[in-house]
Amino acid sequence: MREAYIVQSVRTPGCRRGRGALAYTRPEDLLKTAILGLMERAKGVEKKDVEDILIGCAFPEAEQGLNIGRIIAQMTGFPDETCGATVNRFCASGLEAISLQAMRIMGGMCDVAIGGGLESMSIVPMGGNLPRPHPELAKTYPDAYISMGMTAENVANRYKITREMQDTFAFGSQAKAAEAQKNGKYKEIVPVEAVRFKEKNGITVKETFIQDFDDGVRPTTMEGLAKLRPAFAAMGSVTAGNSSQTTDGAACSLIMSGEAVKKFGVKPIAKFKAYVVAGCRSDEMGVGPAYAIPKLLKVAGLGTALDIAGNAIFEINEAFASQAIYSLQQIGLFDEKYYSHESDQRIVNVNGGAIALGHPLGCTGAKLCAQLMNEMQVRGVKYGVESMCIGGGMGAAALFELCD
Amino acid sequence: MVRRINKAAVIGSGIMGGGIAALLAAAGVEMLLLDIVPFDLKDEEKQDKKARNRIVTMGLEGAIKAKPPLFYSKDDAMRISTGNLEDDFDKLAECDWIIEVVVENLKIKQQLFARIDKVRKPDAIISSNTSGIPLKAMSEGLSAGFKEHFLGTHFFNPVRYMHLLEIIPGEATKKEVLDFVAEFGENRLGKGIVWAKDTPNFIGNRIGIHGIGATMKAMLEDGLTIPEVDAIFGAPLGRPKTAIFATSDLVGLDTMTHVMKNTYDLCADDEERDVFKLPDFLQAMIDKKLLGNKTKAGFYKKEIIDWKKIKKVINPATGEYETFDKVSFPCIDAAKKAKTLPEKLKVVLAGDDKAAKFAWKVLAASFIYAANRIPEISDTVVEIDNAMKWGYNFEFGPFESWDAVGVKESVEKMAKEGLKVPENVKKMLAKGATSFYKVEKGQKSFYDFASESYKPVKTSPKALVIANFKAENKVALSTPSCSLVDIGDGVYCLEFHSKMNAINKDMVDFMAKAGEYVSQNGVGMVIGNQAGGMPGAFSAGGDLAFMLGLAKAGKFDEIDSFIKTVHEGIMGVRYANFPAVAAPYGLTLGGGCEMCLTADRIVAHADLFMGLVEIGAGLVPGGCGMINLWRNFIMSKPDAAKVTDYGGFFLNAFMAVAQAKVSNSAAMARKSGFLKDSDRIVMNRDNLIGEAKKEVLKMVDDGYAPPLKTKIPVFGREAHGMVWAEMNNMKGGGYITPHMEFIAKKICVCMSGGDVPCGTLVSEEHLMKLEREAFVDLWKTENTQKMAENIMATGKPLFL
Repeated sequence: MREAYIVQSVRTPGCRRGRGALAYTRPEDLLKTAILGLMERAKGVEKKDVEDILIGCAFPEAEQGLNIGRIIAQMTGFPDETCGATVNRFCASGLEAISLQAMRIMGGMCDVAIGGGLESMSIVPMGGNLPRPHPELAKTYPDAYISMGMTAENVANRYKITREMQDTFAFGSQAKAAEAQKNGKYKEIVPVEAVRFKEKNGITVKETFIQDFDDGVRPTTMEGLAKLRPAFAAMGSVTAGNSSQTTDGAACSLIMSGEAVKKFGVKPIAKFKAYVVAGCRSDEMGVGPAYAIPKLLKVAGLGTALDIAGNAIFEINEAFASQAIYSLQQIGLFDEKYYSHESDQRIVNVNGGAIALGHPLGCTGAKLCAQLMNEMQVRGVKYGVESMCIGGGMGAAALFELCD
Repeated sequence: MVRRINKAAVIGSGIMGGGIAALLAAAGVEMLLLDIVPFDLKDEEKQDKKARNRIVTMGLEGAIKAKPPLFYSKDDAMRISTGNLEDDFDKLAECDWIIEVVVENLKIKQQLFARIDKVRKPDAIISSNTSGIPLKAMSEGLSAGFKEHFLGTHFFNPVRYMHLLEIIPGEATKKEVLDFVAEFGENRLGKGIVWAKDTPNFIGNRIGIHGIGATMKAMLEDGLTIPEVDAIFGAPLGRPKTAIFATSDLVGLDTMTHVMKNTYDLCADDEERDVFKLPDFLQAMIDKKLLGNKTKAGFYKKEIIDWKKIKKVINPATGEYETFDKVSFPCIDAAKKAKTLPEKLKVVLAGDDKAAKFAWKVLAASFIYAANRIPEISDTVVEIDNAMKWGYNFEFGPFESWDAVGVKESVEKMAKEGLKVPENVKKMLAKGATSFYKVEKGQKSFYDFASESYKPVKTSPKALVIANFKAENKVALSTPSCSLVDIGDGVYCLEFHSKMNAINKDMVDFMAKAGEYVSQNGVGMVIGNQAGGMPGAFSAGGDLAFMLGLAKAGKFDEIDSFIKTVHEGIMGVRYANFPAVAAPYGLTLGGGCEMCLTADRIVAHADLFMGLVEIGAGLVPGGCGMINLWRNFIMSKPDAAKVTDYGGFFLNAFMAVAQAKVSNSAAMARKSGFLKDSDRIVMNRDNLIGEAKKEVLKMVDDGYAPPLKTKIPVFGREAHGMVWAEMNNMKGGGYITPHMEFIAKKICVCMSGGDVPCGTLVSEEHLMKLEREAFVDLWKTENTQKMAENIMATGKPLFL
C-alpha cells in the first residue's frame, strides 16, 4: 500500500460560542481562513494541484450546510477541477475527513487532498436548527437522543469519577493552555479576519478585526471551579467548568501521497498510519476513546499506550473531564506524570485540551490534528495519537508517525 | 393648551424613586432619573461619568431587580435615562413634571427646590413625595410661579402595587395643576386618589402609624405577645396577613419609627401624642440595628437550627428572641370561619376572651382617633377609609369597620367605658344618622360632618361598580357562585363570586343560560368581577372538589361528560353571536385563564398573574386552555409560520403549560402569548369593568361578527420526538418526577394535536377530544388524585 503524509496542518483560533470573538463571523469565512492559510504554508503546492476537499461538520446545515466542501473550494479560488464533500461523524468529523483523504491516497486513487473540519456553534446551534427526533425511537430508545451532559454524568456516576477529580483535571487543562498561550506554543494557528457588529449612535455598524488567539483560556482557581453548579443534573458533578467549551473554529490539513511529496518537493510532517472507530453504549458515549485507542494500537501492532508512552504524545479530546479521566484510566495514562500541568514529562494534551481551548464539534478532529502535528515537530516524538468520544456512543482514534 | 407629560424627572433613586420612575415609564413617559454624585469619589474618578452616576445606576438596577417586580416589563427601563444632580441638572428644564424623592430632610429639600426653581419650565409641575414634611416649609421663599405648580404626590411602597396616591395641594397650587395630576394619576398611573391636607404624615401614615402605636401600647399594657397581636390584627379583622409586626419588618423599623417620631415632633397638640413615643423595647431594637427583613432580624427572625427554619419573635420584656407556638383564641378561630368581614368583626367583638377585649380596645382607639382627625387632616371619612384600604391594604377603612360593628352600639360601649367619644360622631348620631355610609338606589353616600348630611361618594365615571348595579336590582340571573348583571347599554356582566372566584360546576351550568340570556336580551358580555384584595383574584382556578369526588367514586364517565359541558360552555363564549370581553386582574389561573383565552378580547389590569397551572394539581387544563393558547401562537401570523418554524412556537406554548408559567404583569402575559395584540391593558383596576364594557360596545358598533371556526395547524408527532427525548434528559438529571413527566407528555400530546404529521390541519373537536382523554386518564391515576387533594388542602403543589 502507498503512504499518505500530512504535509501541512493549520487551525483558526477556537473562540467561545456566543460571546467569543468569532461568534459573528460566518462559518465559511472561518474555513476560508484555514484553507488559504494552509495553502500559503504549503509552499510548492498550488490550488490546481488539490484534487478534493473533504470537510467534517457535525451540524452541516444552514450557513455551514449545502455542501460546504464544494462551496469552500469555489469561495477560496480553487479551479473547477477541485472537488469537495462533507462528512459527519459528529465530534470525529474533522478526523474522519483527514482519514478518508489519507486512505484514498493510500489506495492509490488520489495524490493531493485537503481534509478538514468546521463548526460555528454560535451560528448553527448544537442539535441543529431543526431537531426532530423520531417519535417512536424517542419513546422506545430515548438514549439515542441523550444529551451529551447526561452521558458525562453517567460516566462520572458509573465509574466513580468524583467532582474533585474532574475539577482538578479541568484546572490542569486551563493551566497547560495558559502556559502554552503565554509561550506562543500554538504555531498552527492562522489569524482570522473576524467581524463584529456594534451600535454607534443608533446605527449598527460592522467592524473587522484580527483574531489570533484562543479566547476560552482563562485564569481559573480550584475554588472558582468548586463553586459552579452542576449543569446537567440536579445532584450531578459535571459543570460548565469541567466540561469542554462550546466553540467556533475551523482547521484543515494537506495530505499527499509519497509520490506527490517527491514531485512537489515538499517536506511532510508526519505519516498517517491508522484510523479506527469503536462503538459503545450511547448513554456513556464518553468512554469511546477507552475502546478506540487500544483498537488503534492493536491495528498498528504497537502494543499498549504505555508501551509507546516514551516516544509519543496524545491528544485526547476533553469533551468532559469525567470521560477524559475514565479513558485515560483505561489506557493506563491516568498518572500525573503523563497529564499534569506540573509534570514536565507530560504527554497527554500537553498544551491543554478542550476544557480550555474549546470543542468546536465537527472541527475538533482536524483541530487536534493541527495541534498534534505542531507539537510532534517541536518535541521530535515518533508517535502522535489523536482520539475522541462521539455522540451516539463511539470513539475514534488515529495514529501518526513523525517524518525524519 | 393641552397639558401633557412627555418627559418627567424623578430626583432620588431609592426604592421609592425607582418605583415611581418605573411606573411613569410604564405609562409611556420618557423619564430622567437623577441622584447625587457619590461623596467618596477617588481623585481619578472625579471626571469619570460612570463613577459620578454610580448611585443612580445602582438605584435603577435595584428597581429592575426588585422582588416583587416594580417594572411591569423590564423593557420599560429603556424609557429611563439616568444622570446626576451636578452634570445633568439642566436637563430638568425639559421636564413637564419633576418629582422629588430625596432623603427626608427639610434643608436638603429646600436647597433642591431652590435650584429647580431656577431651571424649571414655567409651566412644569413640581411635586414632592415626602411622607411627612410640610409643603409650606419646603417651598418657603420660592417664586410665586413655583408655588402655583407645586404640590405633594405621595406614593406608597411598593409603588407598582399600592393603589394609593395622596395628593396634597400647596397653599397656592393652581386648581388646573391639581386636577391634571389627579386625572393623570388615576388614568395613566392607575392610582386611587386621596386628597390630603398639608399636615404631618398626611392621611395614610398618620392614621396608620397611630394604629401601630396604639396596638403596641395596648400590647404592653395588657401583656400580649407579638404573635398574639398579629393573629388578631391580620386576616380575621380584614388586615393584611402580615398584620402589624410582620408588616413593620417588611417596611423596615427605621422607616416606621421615623414616621412615629415625625408625628410626635410635629403634632404637639395631638390628643394621642403619647402613642407616638417609641416604647423602650423598640428604641432598643433600633439601637441594635434590628430593623426588620433588611437586617434579617426585626420583630421576627428566622434561624436555621438542625437544617430547619425556625421562626422566632422578640420578647418586648427581655429583648430576646424566643420560639413561639401557633396562636389560638376562640373568637379568632370563630372569625376565621365567618365569610364576610362585617361578620368576622362582629364575631370577634362579641367574644369575651383576651383577644376580643384587645381587639375592641385597639379598634375603639382607632375609630376615635380617625374621627377626631376630621377636618384636621381630611374633610371626609371617605378619604381616610380609602387611604387605609389603598395604602395599608386594609379590607375596610376605620369608618367602614365602625359601620360594620355598629356605630350606635359601639359609641354606647365607649361612653360606658369612659372613652371620649368624638363630638362629630355624637352629633351625627344625634341627627339620627347611624352609619357613616349608606347605599340608596345604587348610589353610595357618606355622612359629611361639615354639612351634617349624607353626600354621594364621588367616583370616576369610568369606574363602574358592579355592586351598585346589583343594589339597583339589575341582576338578570343568579346562582350562588355567579350572576349575570345588567351594567347598562345592553351589556351584561358575568360576575363570579365563589371563593377565590374558582370555576365550579354551578358556573359551568350557568354559562350556557347566561349566554342564551345575553343573546336574547343584550348586545354583549363582560366577564369580570370586583373582588377585593391585592393583587386580588379574577379567578384562582377550577374547583377540584367536584371532580375529585367523581374520581374517588370511579365515575370517570361523568368526568368525561362534565368536561364535554365545560368545552361547550367555553367554546360557546367564543362562537356566540355577541362579543364577549374578559376583564381579568390579579390571579387569573387555570380555569380563570381559560375563560379569558376563549373571550373575543381581553381588557386586563396591568397587574395580571395569568397562567395555566393545572399541572400543579396533577392535571392538564380542561377548558380548552391548551387549544386556545396554541391558537394564539400559531395563528398570530398564520401564513408566516412555515412547518420548519413550528418547533419554536410549540416549545414556547408547551413550556408555558408544562412549567405552569405565570406572568407577573399583563405586559409579560402579552409577551408569553396569553394576551394578543388586540387585547388591552388598563392601568387602573377600578376602571376595568367600565373599559371592558366600552370595548364590548365598540365591537358592537364596529359590526361584530363571531370568529370563523377554522381548522388549526399543529406540530403533531414531531413534538413527541422532541419532548420524549428531552424528558429522558430531565429524568436522568433528576429535574422531573415520574408523574410530572407523565402529565407533561400528556400536555405535549394535547398541544401537538396527537399522532399526525407536522403542519396537519385538525379540527377543534379533534383537539378537544385529546384534551378530554388526557384529563380523564389523569384522574384515573392515584397520583393525580393525591396531587389534587394536596393542593386543595394546602394550596401548594405536591410533586409526584
